Amino acid sequence: MDNDGHDAGPTRRNLLKLTIAAVATSAVAGNSSRSALASNGIDQAILDFTGGTIPREGEVVLDAPEIADNGGSVQIRIAAAGARKIALFSDGNPNPGIVVITFAEDTVPAATTRVRLAGSQNLVAIAELPDGTFVQTTRPIIVTVGGCG
Amino acid sequence: MSAMTSPTMRVKLPKSVTAGAPFTVRTRITHPMHTGLRRDSDGELVPRQIINRFVVRFNGTEVFSASLEPAISADPYFEFELVVHDDGDLDFEWIDDDGASFSLQRRVNVL
Repeated sequence: MDNDGHDAGPTRRNLLKLTIAAVATSAVAGNSSRSALASNGIDQAILDFTGGTIPREGEVVLDAPEIADNGGSVQIRIAAAGARKIALFSDGNPNPGIVVITFAEDTVPAATTRVRLAGSQNLVAIAELPDGTFVQTTRPIIVTVGGCG
Repeated sequence: MSAMTSPTMRVKLPKSVTAGAPFTVRTRITHPMHTGLRRDSDGELVPRQIINRFVVRFNGTEVFSASLEPAISADPYFEFELVVHDDGDLDFEWIDDDGASFSLQRRVNVL
């Protein structure tokens, strides 16, 4: 021990660590549309999907239960008139991506699937419209028993 | 190599389809969709192994596809609506992380 017998050094260091952690947490919570706990990289994942564009709020259907008893399998329907691509993101799972669906011109731009949710969180559906713009809808879901891992 | 048993695929289509009118397709494949984050009973991480891609083609042309992440539930299920104008073959293909491809073909006859 090189500083054996000295004063409250370790305590000061711990205090400093705590302060740094608190500052980092407020930085993550900077995007007001997200849960304060969202730190799974959803904002970057959305920008990767849109090629850097921030989607506007718009006409995307995201049907989901308000409360899901089993986070291991939650049925979700996504749809957007005219869309050729719809992506679904999570802000409370270990990873933000869930699925990206591509529709041919003749295919109805709607799909239902079942997803895993680690806990209560927001789902975000983003559709790419024929004019190349992106629209999004956010839906909060309460999960009573988480289903991720 | 996968230690899994071979997946079972199910596709539900209407008995008859009207040309130009949407019809519902329901698909499911049995698969554990290992996230790579779970531990087995011995405490060992189970490696990620999922179906990462699902593609539907009609007469060889892609009409619906999905890129899946581990957040899709075990036994991936998709329901969607297709439109066809002529008789033809619908091909359903699921692709595993280990490169294996599982597929099923169904004939569609329009009224």
